[in-house]
Amino acid sequence: MPRPSAESVRAVERWSVPFSPKRSDEDIDRLLAIEPFSLIDERKFSGRVTLRGILKNDARIVKCEDGDILVREGDWGNSAFFVISGSVRVEIEPSGKGLPDEVLGRSKPKRKGLFQAIAQLWRNPSRPEVRDAASYQIDPRLGTRGGGDRTRIYLQDVSVVLDKYRTATIHAGQFFGELSALGRTPRTATVFAVGKAELLEIRWQGLRDLMRRDESLQRRIDMVFRERALESFLRDTPMFRHLSEEEMRRLVAEAQFQAYGQYDWAMPFKRLVQAGEAAGVEHEPLIEEEGHYPNGVLLVRSGLARLSQRYHHGHRTVGYLTAGHVYGFEELVEGWRSRASVPLKYSLRAIGNVGVVFIATPLIEAFVLKRSGPAGAGRRARPAAATSSPYTSRIEPDLVEFLVENRFVNGTATMLIDLDRCTRCDDCVRACAAAHDNNPRFLRHGPVHDHIMVANACMHCQDPVCMIECPTGAIHRDLHEGQVVINDQTCIGCGACAKNCPYDAIRMVEIRHASGGFMCDETTHAPIVKATKCDLCVDQWGGPACQRACPHDALVRMDMRKVQSLANWQNR
Amino acid sequence: MKTFDSRRRRNIRILAAVALLLIAADVILSVSLRAPHVLSGWILFSLVVLLALYNVRKKLPFLPLGSSSAWLQVHIYAGLLAVLLFVLHVRWRIPNGVFESILALLFVAVAASGIVGLIMSRIFARRLTTRGAEVIYERIPVFQRRLHLEVEQLVMSCLADAGSTALSHLYLARLKPFFEKPRNFWQHLMQSHRARHRLLVEIESHERYLNDAEKKAMREIADRVRAKDDLDYQYAHQASLKYWLFAHVPLTYALLVFIVFHVVLVYAFSGDLN
Repeated sequence: MPRPSAESVRAVERWSVPFSPKRSDEDIDRLLAIEPFSLIDERKFSGRVTLRGILKNDARIVKCEDGDILVREGDWGNSAFFVISGSVRVEIEPSGKGLPDEVLGRSKPKRKGLFQAIAQLWRNPSRPEVRDAASYQIDPRLGTRGGGDRTRIYLQDVSVVLDKYRTATIHAGQFFGELSALGRTPRTATVFAVGKAELLEIRWQGLRDLMRRDESLQRRIDMVFRERALESFLRDTPMFRHLSEEEMRRLVAEAQFQAYGQYDWAMPFKRLVQAGEAAGVEHEPLIEEEGHYPNGVLLVRSGLARLSQRYHHGHRTVGYLTAGHVYGFEELVEGWRSRASVPLKYSLRAIGNVGVVFIATPLIEAFVLKRSGPAGAGRRARPAAATSSPYTSRIEPDLVEFLVENRFVNGTATMLIDLDRCTRCDDCVRACAAAHDNNPRFLRHGPVHDHIMVANACMHCQDPVCMIECPTGAIHRDLHEGQVVINDQTCIGCGACAKNCPYDAIRMVEIRHASGGFMCDETTHAPIVKATKCDLCVDQWGGPACQRACPHDALVRMDMRKVQSLANWQNR
Repeated sequence: MKTFDSRRRRNIRILAAVALLLIAADVILSVSLRAPHVLSGWILFSLVVLLALYNVRKKLPFLPLGSSSAWLQVHIYAGLLAVLLFVLHVRWRIPNGVFESILALLFVAVAASGIVGLIMSRIFARRLTTRGAEVIYERIPVFQRRLHLEVEQLVMSCLADAGSTALSHLYLARLKPFFEKPRNFWQHLMQSHRARHRLLVEIESHERYLNDAEKKAMREIADRVRAKDDLDYQYAHQASLKYWLFAHVPLTYALLVFIVFHVVLVYAFSGDLN
């Protein structure tokens, strides 16, 4: 029998897919001549990851025109920017009082009037995905440049914007956007170019490697992180709300930020799901291990983490933590009250990418436990622990395992269907279609555990990876109500969101005229494609039509961060 | 979040209180020599209109008219109240006129179909999770056709390879009719496994006439018989859950029309009603 011949393929390496295909050595030389890159000691880089390699493969030069919007408040991004020449402005108005959504290329959530809502009965088109061509007339306040994936939204009258809104200048030689890129959190401000500017956009991986090897850069980013992000995060944490300014400063100075897991978890996870495999507990990065003695508490700042306990030869998932949850506090309190070391009851593992803030035991003792003595500490601990309790004893462990394994706990509006009550009447699908011009935006189908189905509908994730690569910011989170929505007017149909969504909840559709014919691009004559998904009926009265249409209380849009709500729903 | 149990108990208490109130009003009106059927008639008519409005609510999912499940709860308990009112209204007698008899029959049919639908929606939904894979009703013919084709190919391959017609005879006599369309509808609703068992026994007993290749194919066919039977189970239950409304809703519209005529007739021939 002939031996099967081995087929050689080139293994994928870190820089097999560079950030930008257009890279010239002259550009790299020019970058290496300017600070801070000129100050970085190239000898600190070794092996395949070199400074030149990072600048060549993990970075790209972005040339901006006057008014180009570089990042928007609320966007999800995986890259930071360095201003090479020119300057950019960051808008510093309080959230909600800044540049209007329409100017930023976003749709302003407008609820339909009563007559408009009723008119859907006869106005909804009979053909799928019909659009009004007039709605694609560009808003006079909105400008677009470039084409395809490089389409950019720009502000048409920068001087008016500068007069009307408070801004701060970011000069050449400064970074911006590094905190949300490294911490996987939404952008906190909108940044736009004033005049011509040249920027270096660096992927988070490149920035991470630069930080590891350049202490001054690391110090700078660490300082910015502590000033801008860590303090506000700690102030929002219930157990530290009572601290004085001085105590808070000490806490901020001594807290440590740690990141675990794969930053780009979505694509590998999607591939695993498509191959019919799940990642499994043992493959997830261990943050803390059950049985170890805690030397502080961990506050989850971003991402999702799994709580598990050893069970015979495996691990049983008992719960999950999301942003705002605390790990290890209960054991510290128990130890404080009994004057003995209490080991950690659960292991903590990163699901995807997790950012945690570590607060050492002495700080917890000084600022939380000692304040009211052992008994008081217990009392103080309870409400905080109750609001952030991961202990999901009222939810079947198998269900928790299923939800965590499939990353459904990422959702803030996960569609759960209790099949023991669902009569498969499809009232939910019809209601969804009625609320979206006769186009249902979900499939009443999906993975089933016991009698709980997770239907194929956008979950409006806490970590919306779909938003990362949108070139125009068309897919965005509504800053007021939190839904992830797509602005049909600025969606260029590139499909980046659909490709990134780990749950295949976004569909690319070819749009039509009311007559039924496909709308085509006037230059390429190719059909125009748009991304579509559930928008939680943001423009309708009364919230998601699917949930309201279910006669048997079978369907619910569940915020998976609210573990108690999930437990109550399951144990109705 | 309220549990289903506590909601049910609350609703039953409200229903019982309202029912007692209505019975008391009926008795008081009777002993005071008034016409209790006028009051019961109008309340019954209002209730039937309210019950019918649920269908209108379903057609307007985009309006903030309350959740469908809240409407269904009202629909169920108002429906039960309507049955009581109907009995009070007809004074516990069977109507004797043709028109009144049809009207009464229509009411009974609507009420009965509603109660049957409610029982089905509570029992059948649970059953669907216990047998066979979760399948969308409209996709059942596709899966059925796929299974039929697979069985047909297995039979054809044996015919070509073994040159024996033992399998094809069984196919033509028993398997083809089974795979052609949904079968054993009522037996599935009655939770009977008899038909499936009988066919599998037949397949097993037929094995003694087959060679090794045919036996292997036959075992694969038996797997498909089980899969098709599960699909039929899903079909029977999902179809029942879908189509009972095709009786309940048109009957309701017919009832409404008859009620309107009834009211017109009553007032046209009721000189001393007031």
